[in-house]
Amino acid sequence: MNGWIGRCLRVNLTEGKHRIEEIHPQILNKFLGGRGHGVKIFSDEVSPQTDPLSPDNKLIFVSGPLVGTGAITGASCNVVTKSSLTGALACAKMRGHFGAELKFAGFDMIIVEGKAEGPVILSIRDDKIKIDPALEYWGRSTSETEALYKRNMGDPWAARETFLAGIGPAGEQLLPLANIVNDRFLSVGGAGIGAVMGSKNLKAIAVKGQHSLHVADGSRFVQVINTMINKLNSASLTSQSMSQWGTAFLVGLCHQKGILPQNNFRLGTLSLKNIGTEALNSAFALRSRSCFACPVGCIKKTDVKHPAYEGRGMVPTYLAIGALGVNCGVNDLAAIGMANMICAEMGLDPVAAGGMLATAMELIERKTVTPEELKIDLRFGNSDAMLEALRMISTKKGHAKRLGQGGKALAESAERPDLFMGVKGLSLAPFDPRAIQGLGLHFATCNYGPHHLYGNTFIDELLNVHEKLDPWDAEGKPLLVKRFQDTTAVMDSLGLCSWPLMGLKFNNYIPMTNSCLGTEYKADDLMAIGERIWNLERTFNLRAGLTSNDDTLPERFVTEPIADGPGQGQVSRVNEMRPEYYHLRGWNENGEPLPETLSALGLEEHN
Amino acid sequence: MARIRIDHAKCTGCRHCETACSLNHVPNTVNPRRARIRVMRDGTRYYPVIAGPFVDAACTSKLFIETGDHAYDQCALCRASCPEKPYFIEAETGIPLKCDFCGIPPAPSCVRWCNSGALELVEE
Repeated sequence: MNGWIGRCLRVNLTEGKHRIEEIHPQILNKFLGGRGHGVKIFSDEVSPQTDPLSPDNKLIFVSGPLVGTGAITGASCNVVTKSSLTGALACAKMRGHFGAELKFAGFDMIIVEGKAEGPVILSIRDDKIKIDPALEYWGRSTSETEALYKRNMGDPWAARETFLAGIGPAGEQLLPLANIVNDRFLSVGGAGIGAVMGSKNLKAIAVKGQHSLHVADGSRFVQVINTMINKLNSASLTSQSMSQWGTAFLVGLCHQKGILPQNNFRLGTLSLKNIGTEALNSAFALRSRSCFACPVGCIKKTDVKHPAYEGRGMVPTYLAIGALGVNCGVNDLAAIGMANMICAEMGLDPVAAGGMLATAMELIERKTVTPEELKIDLRFGNSDAMLEALRMISTKKGHAKRLGQGGKALAESAERPDLFMGVKGLSLAPFDPRAIQGLGLHFATCNYGPHHLYGNTFIDELLNVHEKLDPWDAEGKPLLVKRFQDTTAVMDSLGLCSWPLMGLKFNNYIPMTNSCLGTEYKADDLMAIGERIWNLERTFNLRAGLTSNDDTLPERFVTEPIADGPGQGQVSRVNEMRPEYYHLRGWNENGEPLPETLSALGLEEHN
Repeated sequence: MARIRIDHAKCTGCRHCETACSLNHVPNTVNPRRARIRVMRDGTRYYPVIAGPFVDAACTSKLFIETGDHAYDQCALCRASCPEKPYFIEAETGIPLKCDFCGIPPAPSCVRWCNSGALELVEE
């Protein structure tokens, strides 16, 4: 096969056995691979009623067909499971080199089932698959685990070629805020999956391989990639903004439009002096780092100076600056960088953790909860308390236990569920949905919870790359949201990163896909596959008990206008847009896909 | 004479050069273990290394080179394939690999795909 390998590794941790299976080409034609393939297998094999932390839940690591072939930004490995935080499907997009290495190891997919008796590490090294006891790694941070594992390999040259994806102490403690960290990159949008991995007693997966991948038409493929590199270089957003500062360049733009939330989504005025790109340049010595085959290189590395973490750290991205910084009232980049580092080391999701902290801070500010009750002085802007809380919750001792259950549980236990700013139990990514209507609708309706990377409409709404749209206007946004959600589903399934859409059109990817896979897809064919994947995810979530009541934003965004700043007076019109969105999707007024929609997409059996 | 200039400070570790090389030398095939260029990693630094000679004995001495603020492990920079560092032995065939500059005149495919500026073809 071209692009795809066609092999799947099924590991049963209860029995300690593994099996190599062939993948049916028909599934690949229908769902492409990656996220689509993972969701298909997951929804076929796992009951929607499964308890996320029980051995019956499965954890699927799946790389798309373009991953590892050298296709531009082909690096994504998706992790599909049922999240312990949202109770819905979870699909983390793991970047870095793990996904490509998995393909070189000879697998498109790893399915992890059951539960090991004690801590284990799954190692795949040049066709030798082993489940090793991992007691000495248990309790260690992600970077310690990686360093120790590589030292224990005994061969420094093989260690250099090995890539790990694993959990930190947060995942071991089954915190709903935990996610999986890969190659010391943060995995994106995956709160709750770390706990699933922890519940299986699986500390990490290490891969190294040496198999070849095949492409259908190598000379055409090379030509297409040359053109795409030129296109990326001629677009200023990808060639300058992204490669210079990573996603942090969005901070200034979002602030201008009132999208950057402050103090748990209440304010919009803040000086950018301390957190803008200028400050970023002076606070950190930036070094670019790329995921596999990415010419942009938006990840910035640096040294974080702190006695506890004298090591190599990651410069905060937009997500970290927004969720762990401004939304908690913190505007000190060094503290934000540290908080981001702690999240990576402990295996916490920065968005979910930041949302939980902001909720706690507002509860304390409103005196619903006293600082004595939480034994930590979490006030807006108190960065020391924030760092302490992040370190504490992964240990799950005493009072930290309450924080570690996530923002929703915390707000409910204080009888103020309205102060939790999230959808489906997951905190909102730091974009104020009142000032960016399309993204607000996406946050409400996204199958995975409110995360921008499953439908980054701000590429058109805010950056005006393909279309000039006004973020405050609701006109035409349901169609935009649907288009971006389907596009992202396709790109995740191919294994591509969706950030380069800032410099490329979706159509640019089609010659690359076809020359690599030997297929003859047109844009419409791929969009139909995207729609099929979105509907499949939707039917799983509905069967898991979610309803259209979960497709809404917290009350604050609909009733309280933005108090100040550029977006003053805006409210979200999500409830007005939602019926049109359901209609465009071919769903009934309760958000359930109509039988004719499902049969048109070839999903009859999921009705 | 044409040379490839390698700038470690610019390399982002994307390994696109490895895929370019193997696509160029083995038709329709991508495999970093069949490429004549590999990117070594050390902390936040990356060292692209281009395949040189094959030797059947390892050096008896180990070197560290210090240049101002940074110490380099000579083995990581070394272009030779040796028993100590079994790189540039083609996976699946076992043949030792050596960079051929992608023909005459040199048109290295790794340089063409390197977008960070770490690899550059210079005339001297």
